[in-house]
Amino acid sequence: MNWSFVLSNAITLACIYGTLAIGISVTWSSLGLVNMAYGFIFALSGYGAWLASVNISTNPAIVMAAGILTGGAGGLIVCLIAFIPIHDKPSFPLRALIATLAISLVGNQALLWYFGPRAKSLPRLFGNWNADILGVIVTSDKLGASISAIVLLTAILLWMRSSRRGLEIRAMMMNPHAASIVGIGVRRTGFYVMALTGSLAGLAAVLLAQTYYVAPFSGITPMIKGLSIALVGGLGSVPGAIIGAAVLGVNEALTSTLLGGQYVLITQFLLIILVLLVRPRGIAGILDKAREA
Amino acid sequence: MMQTAADRKQRPVLDVRGLSAGWGPMRVIHDLDLRVFSGERIGLVGLNGHGKSTLFQAIAGLTGWQRGSIKLNGFEVGRTRSQGPGRYTHQIVRRGLALIPQGDEIFHGLTVEEHLDSGAFTKRAWADRAARKQKILKIFPPLDKLMKTAVGRLSGGERRMVAIGRGLMADADLFLVDEPSLGLAPKIGKSVVEALMAVDLGLSAMVIAEQNVALLQGRVDRIIGMHAGKLKGEASASSRSFGTERTS
Repeated sequence: MNWSFVLSNAITLACIYGTLAIGISVTWSSLGLVNMAYGFIFALSGYGAWLASVNISTNPAIVMAAGILTGGAGGLIVCLIAFIPIHDKPSFPLRALIATLAISLVGNQALLWYFGPRAKSLPRLFGNWNADILGVIVTSDKLGASISAIVLLTAILLWMRSSRRGLEIRAMMMNPHAASIVGIGVRRTGFYVMALTGSLAGLAAVLLAQTYYVAPFSGITPMIKGLSIALVGGLGSVPGAIIGAAVLGVNEALTSTLLGGQYVLITQFLLIILVLLVRPRGIAGILDKAREA
Repeated sequence: MMQTAADRKQRPVLDVRGLSAGWGPMRVIHDLDLRVFSGERIGLVGLNGHGKSTLFQAIAGLTGWQRGSIKLNGFEVGRTRSQGPGRYTHQIVRRGLALIPQGDEIFHGLTVEEHLDSGAFTKRAWADRAARKQKILKIFPPLDKLMKTAVGRLSGGERRMVAIGRGLMADADLFLVDEPSLGLAPKIGKSVVEALMAVDLGLSAMVIAEQNVALLQGRVDRIIGMHAGKLKGEASASSRSFGTERTS
């Protein structure tokens, strides 16, 4: 069996799913919103990138930018419908869950109606070549996907660490009540968060479409995986989500090589149950040495 | 612009009229009137559960419901609300309110320095934050060594200092300090209150809610008693009528 192939697959999947998981995790902890429409945003930005590649240019930068921008716009739409009008009403998390689920169902049907059921494929953004890294042969799309995900995620995380808006978002993630006391506007920060996480979904959509394709319902499985990685990592923890993505990426690559692709979700959820049995707060519970409130 | 002390006395920073507030079916504040003038340091004393914290929360728009007029710097921030606690809080805060809540309300993963930064929300305070942080460190010297430490790892007294420091970072006209000595060892609680007394208020005003009258006595401009959701009795801090013989 080819271990280098498993490893490169695992890293690529971890990068893509980690991007999604960070988006879901940040949305949940800062806004209290489980974004069930994340899969719809994912599919929508896939179509955005496809439209750009057909109508504008197949230049990789333009296709990727189109995907990311469509994702950001999708995030803003979800924010306008499912966050702004109801965020201060009683039992908001439940309402938001239902509202985003509705957006997801309606949105996916709208995509099906407009674009038809046939899957579209994006142009190869990273060319068609192989790289030899320490004796491991890696195809260009995997290498490109991993590197662009890592670069963009690092940029976003650095922005969250150093900028004022990032400080506001992190403060909201830790204590929304205290955030309003220090003058952070919940709704305005909601816009930033949703645009940011939406564009993360857009990035993941473009990258994953290098291996798979763009279809009306192509966002469902990645969203489930992103959500479960966010759970394993501990909702609200970015480092936890990264480690969770690495663990589940290895699991997915190993399972599809050893057992077959159809067993991936089974082993994945078994692994998640195992982690949550030992650490109910997810991997973040091991990392976090700070006492809570 | 120079202002004399007499001018300052004329300008109410906070003017509360007919305020009622509470949570769900419970009414905690009953038709309360309160005026706080620029440059004043006021002690608000009263037993647990008589509405000190709720009064502060109502001013910040954090109660479950409220009605009545709250004027902050002459601007009406009191709204008749039946739901949505905290929805307008950030706007009220931007109008010049700094609330230092009971129980600290810290962000457990942020460092002390990031905390102090997060308190400087107005444009002016943000641009000026380095100098402001130095001021806070003068008030609370123990924080100097902890600037890069996550607040979740600090002790209770250190957390209180961070919470108060975060409030003082603001470019606010009215500071509401809720129970600064609560839950701290007497010696540390006393030093925290002493630090609050040492803050140079300038044109702003400060209201300190406290159960331990002895800690405030003789060091604030006025002491107001609070009982069952109403203000009861008022004394300048030097007057004998309010005197308690307890010493801390």
